[in-house]
Amino acid sequence: MATEVILPRLGQGMESGTIVRWLKSEGEQVEKGEPLFELDTDKVTQEVEAEANGVLLKIAVAEGEVPVGQTVAFIGDKGEAVPEPAGATPPVPPAEAEQPAEPEPAAPPEARATATTNGRIKASPLARRLARERGIDLATLRGTGPEGRIVAEDVERGEVGAPSAPAPGAVPVPAGEVQRLPLTNIRKTIARRLTEAWQIPVFQLQVSAEMTRVNDLVARFRERDPDVRLTVTDVLTKVCARALMRHREVNAEFTEDAILLHPSATIGLAVAAPQGLVVPVIRSAERLSLTEIARVRADLVGRARENKLRAEDLEGGTFTISNLGMFAVQSFTAVLNPPQAAIVAVGATEDRVVPADGGTAVRPMVTLTGTFDHRAVDGAPAAAFLQTVRESLEDPGLAL
Amino acid sequence: MPELTYREAVRDALVQAMRQDDDVFIMGEDIAEMGGSMGVTAGLLDEFGPERVRNSPISEMAIAGAAIGAAVQGMRPIAEIMYEDFLTLAAEQIVNQAAKHRYMSGGQVTVPVVFRTQGGAGWSPGAQHAQQLEAWFVHIPGLKVVFASTPEDVRGLLWSAIYDDNPVVFFEHRTLYPIKGDVPQEIEPIPIGRARVHRQGEDVTVIATGRLVHESLRAAEEAESEGISVEVVDPRTLQPLDEETLIASVKKTNRAVVAHEAVTRMGFGAEVAAVLQYQAFDWLDAPIERVGARFSPLPFAPVMENFVVPHAADVLAAIKRTVGKS
Repeated sequence: MATEVILPRLGQGMESGTIVRWLKSEGEQVEKGEPLFELDTDKVTQEVEAEANGVLLKIAVAEGEVPVGQTVAFIGDKGEAVPEPAGATPPVPPAEAEQPAEPEPAAPPEARATATTNGRIKASPLARRLARERGIDLATLRGTGPEGRIVAEDVERGEVGAPSAPAPGAVPVPAGEVQRLPLTNIRKTIARRLTEAWQIPVFQLQVSAEMTRVNDLVARFRERDPDVRLTVTDVLTKVCARALMRHREVNAEFTEDAILLHPSATIGLAVAAPQGLVVPVIRSAERLSLTEIARVRADLVGRARENKLRAEDLEGGTFTISNLGMFAVQSFTAVLNPPQAAIVAVGATEDRVVPADGGTAVRPMVTLTGTFDHRAVDGAPAAAFLQTVRESLEDPGLAL
Repeated sequence: MPELTYREAVRDALVQAMRQDDDVFIMGEDIAEMGGSMGVTAGLLDEFGPERVRNSPISEMAIAGAAIGAAVQGMRPIAEIMYEDFLTLAAEQIVNQAAKHRYMSGGQVTVPVVFRTQGGAGWSPGAQHAQQLEAWFVHIPGLKVVFASTPEDVRGLLWSAIYDDNPVVFFEHRTLYPIKGDVPQEIEPIPIGRARVHRQGEDVTVIATGRLVHESLRAAEEAESEGISVEVVDPRTLQPLDEETLIASVKKTNRAVVAHEAVTRMGFGAEVAAVLQYQAFDWLDAPIERVGARFSPLPFAPVMENFVVPHAADVLAAIKRTVGKS
């Protein structure tokens, strides 16, 4: 009996996912635990692993959005019959109107380019399937078939010159043409959530902290334990987590009938991944050592860049740190990451002239800008929280 | 391997079945002394006598009805309808009686009758003597429909039709009677419902019936000279249809042309196209092309008749459209 491959629920609230591509083909042998297909949810693009050994008998859904729990493939013994999955038929685009038997006047060849009708790209069913299987965006291809239709040959040709990763932005675009990047699920989620966040009444507070001791700490740490590669962000994570435990009204979430204060600081780090912004989290950061934080952070950021985060890596954050210091940004305001009540935007640590002992001195300084959900947090507790953060940065021993 | 004409191949199946089996007899207009208007049954009267080679009144309904009655009683009659245009006169018997008795009797009655008929343009017979009406009968549950295009196929399929326990409408093509072809020494029954791949190809599958099989083979040769590799498949049996063979071929070539002499609109080819688009949708690289007669009664004037019905050039043009070389 063939084993059904079911679209898994990768996280709370996930109702559907989009199959991006299959990493195995029909007829190929798969081992339990091997990556089977890539699934794009509103949070991550994740490889889904096979849960059975055998031959991938049939891919029921080659690509596209699928509700959780639907059968998307079958694994079984070679040659085994595959039951027809209920309701698993992928949406079939309406067939093109049939050509009249009489030859139509041929379009002049120079008029041939990728033809679209109401934004729909003209491509043969075979070309669509090949493009789907190979992760090629039809919008990047030029159709050479009748009426500019993209045919299989165009896909084959398109693949030769295309980069191995199907990044639409990497495909050369003829000068002067508007490039169209179809929205990925992640992009859609970013847009939706940030638009929602924009509705929330927020206020910003800004503090600057001297980073001399943090820099010393980081330098000493790296000297003693070069493998760990501690960063300023790791210290910030620890410092913020400790401050949140002292100011739990900031480690908060506003709901319809209550404000929820979380018992532990789960710190989200905004990471620029190739597919867009993702915010993996470090759990119970207040209880982790700097070394532990650095290890967890390195793992998360590494996997975010390789597009290998799992849904659980992104769930349950109570506070977010967004650091653009590496781009020499002095200071900026971050948009809230709901349902969290606070986010801190971290600028570059730079030498600034500051007053010192009745005169001036040059010190490494950083500017932090907190954005707070005013429904959950008032100005004074927010300011007190930032004060604790600043003090802890200027004297890290206080936080450790 | 002996060579027979298509006409001789039909006759050979009739003669051998009648020699082997007393239940087999033929009936139709002018089939005895005259040997049939197309000469298919010439000589049969001498061998089998008027009881088994029965001239009928000029009433297709009577021919069909009598044949159905005999079949129900256990005979294996072969009724000849002189022109398939005249099937319309026998439609009540074929559609409402022959096709229905087995079903309505819960299987107690079978109707092992063959309605042999012929049609086809190309010799200026006018609007009432050369139509291709197979689409009328493939639409009727309870009937099998055969349309053979070569001497070998017509002999082997007629044999299977005679010994099938269901009514079979058996179409022959007027202009194919003189074509010659090798046939096996002994009759080899060809199962009903099995297509024949006449020619292997890589780029386009042409699914053709009757005369258009030969036109398509000519078109395929021309296409070959232009670098297009064409596969030609003849379903041979229109009902039941060998979908498996057709789908396999189109999945290989990714393009399809359906060709028949009958009027394109609402024709048999429309059903084939529907089957292909549904079962091979993700393999199609071009719209399915259809080749058939224009939507017109057949003109008497040869030049106009020639204009209305399809030829190799029309198939070739359709082939080229599928590969984007029109």
